[in-house]
Amino acid sequence: MANFEELKQQFTAAFENAENLEQLNALRVEYLGKKGQISALMKQMKDVPKEEKPAFGQKVNELKAEATALFDKKKEELESKALEEKLASEKIDLTLPGRRPSYGNLNPLHLVEQELEDLFIGLGYQVIEGDEVVDDLYCFERANIPKDHPARAMQDSLYLDPEHLLRTHTTAIQMKVLEEQAPNPIKVVCPGKVYRRDDDDATHSHQFMQIEGLVIGEHVPLSDLKGTLEFFARKMFGQDREIRFRPSFFPFTEPSVEVDVSCHMCGGKGCPTCKGTGWIEILGAGEVHPHVLEMAGYDPKKVNGFAFGIGIERVAMLKYGIDDIRHFYTNDQRFNKNFDRFD
Amino acid sequence: MKLSRKWLEQYMDLSGLDMNDVASAVTDAGFEVEEILPMSSGTNLVIGEVLTCVDHPDSDHLHLTTVDTGDGIRQIVCGAPNVAAGQKVIVALPGAKLPGGEIRSGSIRGQQSDGMICSLAELGVDKHSLTEEQLAGIEVLPADAPVGNTDPRGYLGLNDVVLDISLTPNRADCQAVWNMAAETAAILKRPAEFPEYEGAGNAGNDKETDLVISSTTEKCPSFLGKIIGSITIKESPKWMKELLRASGVHSINNVVDISNIVMLETGQPMHFYDLDALPASELICKDGLECEYTALDGITYSIQPEDLIITSAGKPVGIAGIMGGDDSKIEENTTRLLIEVATFDHVSIRNTARRLALNTEASVRYQRGIEPLAAKKALDRAVDLLIRYADAKDIEKTVVYGTDGYIPRTITCTLAEINGRLGTDFVLDEVMDVFKRLSLEPELDGDLITVHVPSTRQDLEGMADLSEEVIRMIGYDRLPSTLPLMEMTEGKLNPQQKQRRFIRTMLLENGLQDAVTYTLVSQAKNDNAILGRGNALELPVPLSEERRFIRRSILPSLLETLSYNLSRGNKNVSLFEISELTSDQGVDKHLAIVLNGNLESVRWLNQTLPTDFYTIKGLIEEMLIRLGIGENRIYFKENKTDTRHFHPGRSAEVYIGKDLIGITGEIHPLYAKENGIRQAVMAEIDLDKVLGTKKSKVRFSPVSKYPAVSRDLAFVVKKDVPAGKIVDVIKRSGKLDKEAVVRSVEVFDVYEGEHVADDEKSIALNMTFQSDRHTLDDAMITKVFNDIIDAIQKQCKAVLRSA
Repeated sequence: MANFEELKQQFTAAFENAENLEQLNALRVEYLGKKGQISALMKQMKDVPKEEKPAFGQKVNELKAEATALFDKKKEELESKALEEKLASEKIDLTLPGRRPSYGNLNPLHLVEQELEDLFIGLGYQVIEGDEVVDDLYCFERANIPKDHPARAMQDSLYLDPEHLLRTHTTAIQMKVLEEQAPNPIKVVCPGKVYRRDDDDATHSHQFMQIEGLVIGEHVPLSDLKGTLEFFARKMFGQDREIRFRPSFFPFTEPSVEVDVSCHMCGGKGCPTCKGTGWIEILGAGEVHPHVLEMAGYDPKKVNGFAFGIGIERVAMLKYGIDDIRHFYTNDQRFNKNFDRFD
Repeated sequence: MKLSRKWLEQYMDLSGLDMNDVASAVTDAGFEVEEILPMSSGTNLVIGEVLTCVDHPDSDHLHLTTVDTGDGIRQIVCGAPNVAAGQKVIVALPGAKLPGGEIRSGSIRGQQSDGMICSLAELGVDKHSLTEEQLAGIEVLPADAPVGNTDPRGYLGLNDVVLDISLTPNRADCQAVWNMAAETAAILKRPAEFPEYEGAGNAGNDKETDLVISSTTEKCPSFLGKIIGSITIKESPKWMKELLRASGVHSINNVVDISNIVMLETGQPMHFYDLDALPASELICKDGLECEYTALDGITYSIQPEDLIITSAGKPVGIAGIMGGDDSKIEENTTRLLIEVATFDHVSIRNTARRLALNTEASVRYQRGIEPLAAKKALDRAVDLLIRYADAKDIEKTVVYGTDGYIPRTITCTLAEINGRLGTDFVLDEVMDVFKRLSLEPELDGDLITVHVPSTRQDLEGMADLSEEVIRMIGYDRLPSTLPLMEMTEGKLNPQQKQRRFIRTMLLENGLQDAVTYTLVSQAKNDNAILGRGNALELPVPLSEERRFIRRSILPSLLETLSYNLSRGNKNVSLFEISELTSDQGVDKHLAIVLNGNLESVRWLNQTLPTDFYTIKGLIEEMLIRLGIGENRIYFKENKTDTRHFHPGRSAEVYIGKDLIGITGEIHPLYAKENGIRQAVMAEIDLDKVLGTKKSKVRFSPVSKYPAVSRDLAFVVKKDVPAGKIVDVIKRSGKLDKEAVVRSVEVFDVYEGEHVADDEKSIALNMTFQSDRHTLDDAMITKVFNDIIDAIQKQCKAVLRSA
């Protein structure tokens, strides 16, 4: 039965040399098919002496098992190779641009406005807006700004008729809030557009945005203003910021202060942004004037509180290093795309 | 106001302090020093005498001089045209540091030069205070100037330092040097002494006068006049000239200078007339005149009835509180003087000064406000100085019209109130010390502190004002930092604010830029208002033609922004703006959208999201649905409202139920051209209506357990049959045992062209059927499907193409 060994050598070599799955399949038919060489051996069984039949049968089965194992091994090998070749051929250029979802940007004024609103919402404030065309009662009279004050002249404010004008400050909202809430406590911020008779240039705009804060309660002293503004300065300009109060004057607050924040660019050492002083003037504030409370219907002996007014353009210009206030209103796409996130 | 070291040193000892110290102390107390200005500067200077002066051999304008500088004789090349032998001059020696740089020995065109002969401008003296002669050449000192003196700046009185202080409106009292000096002394905690002059104005009160002083207008409530029968005009004393110079005032002669120095000291403007040049011994303040009038400056002004005028015998002799007349000004030969000290309404002065563009030292002071007792102080001080420096004699009785109306005031408060307002824990001694330093003469009675407010401090009205005095004098560095302790409040946005933020976020996420444009617009933009309500509010005095009306619509501004961007090469510009609008009908909030180019684009993949009607429609629908407005309440109907700005066939009115909430679609080609753009789709939406409409609540609806079945249909219909109608018919007719089993309808193809008649189109739709009650078997589906086909064929005159 020398042909067993010969056959084995023959199919071992054949399977081993198969170059692709088609060849391998053809070999499977040749050796393992119903009419294949191994099946042909089984047909010789009838010629084998009876006592040798079991041994012969076993040998044929062993041969078949060996052939099947060799075939499976080769098949796996060839399949794996074919997959590798396919994957290699599917390689793409990783440097071509991806499909980026398009995403617009908030105007930086709204970026700052939203950041400020959220900051004060976190402290329990409500956000109150008001009309842009206001009665001069709320814009001036209630804010303790006397009739003959220059701001109340056509030359400085945008009057529509003797009693109505485009609000010159968001204080106009606060005065309305005071009247509506008296005698209850208040904790609000009031954002909005305001208008002045100014010629537009790099640092002036006839239209700009403010956000004012107002807190009224039984005991809300000036020191509470300092703590609140310290919180604001650190949130907006960094944890290391300090604030400084300087005496000032506003008709609707007493005492009145200008508030400086230690320079976020140089950390207070002095640089062009802070003009070498280490401090940047950022807002005006104070304890609400007793007359203002009284006019709105509060008893200034029983309550007090503070108010502050922040220029949104000023904060945005300082925070982002913007050099011209007109940028906010031209909405050049190349300008707006700088402001692609809150930071 | 300007405050110099020499002024301050008249009243207090400043030893140990330089002007930087003073500046930072007063700034911290509320008087912001804007600039510290030395009147001159320069080191290594000496007074010299020009011994010889000849032309430089190699120059047509330089001179060659020898100068005695006390320590020797040096050769100096000098370019000044006025240099001459025998002059006493200021010499900057080699090594001198001047504002323009350092002086060195050297050779100028071959001639040795050891120093520089200086002009005052070269020493940094304010050019405005110099004459043309002084500006053109070197400073020639008096003949008796001491050669070798190494402090020529001191010799000339130019060694002063001036603080330029910005005053807050409540501290107009500090326009007066005396008041500012007293304040400075209080801040520096140094004692101060002021000149004794009180009562000097009583001189001559025993002598009768025929002078008439009066006013016919309530805008001049009080008026003092006094005749000085004899004065001598001469040069002012040196101290007076120096102080005037430090305040930026030219010295003219002793009498004029006295009126100026008293104004600086007391803050009260006054006017001196040459009595002999007046038509009568009479001054009456009037308004209601209309005339031409030539003032001191030689300019003729047109006087209007609202202006206050000083008249004498009916003839104008001065614009009250602003400027006197040319005819009656003090001249070299003046011998008899009439003093005017009056109170004028500050608004009237402001209006006149503004209209005449005439801001004088006097008018500025009147506009800011003058303390009630200043007039009397000024008269006393003027008479005092006139007696001492102008040989004033034959002084007549003061004539008084009106009263100063001054009522002294006290304020009572407690330490607890002050600490309570500030959040501080100052002790009584500190607070009392502040009040004493400020001359408030505090008295203590138990807990009660009573202060006596001086006439100069009209700004102090109550405890709040006193609390400010305390904190600014003690210093804001002592203010603690605390947070309000109040009942908990909920920090929040109201529902409308939240929804507005949502809309912003959604539009940003879809690639639109958030814009902010101006509220004030031109006539043209107002005329092009889209969905604008009522009539525009117009500024009676507009900022400019571009800024005349309050806008009623955002789109015209947004289109301008689009055009601005496109003209600068920006592509694919899509913008939105949410803004408040105001008209004579009230306040509205609108949302405007402008889309241009592609909303999304990956060019190498040839994939874009174009900006056409369907893009903006989808955006609006999605926005409304996500705000909680049911899809079945949103309609896009043919635009009959505005076809001037929109393409009539490619725009729609947007409705929520029966409410028109906006217009959207392609821009009309003509309007696009007006805006300088080629293509855009846009929308103007009334946000108040959107946000105000009823919103559905978010609710779970059960997911059907039964399988869904999908079917396609295609019809041929007339071109003018809207796809929406077919979809509606399918939804309405797709029912089985009254259950709406059509769960979705999607148009997936619209075809016009070959194989379809010219006036027809083919529409293909996909439907999903599902029941919540049972599995839909073939028979059921077929029944529903056939019902739908029947309904479409009947209601839309459609021909079934495939099913």
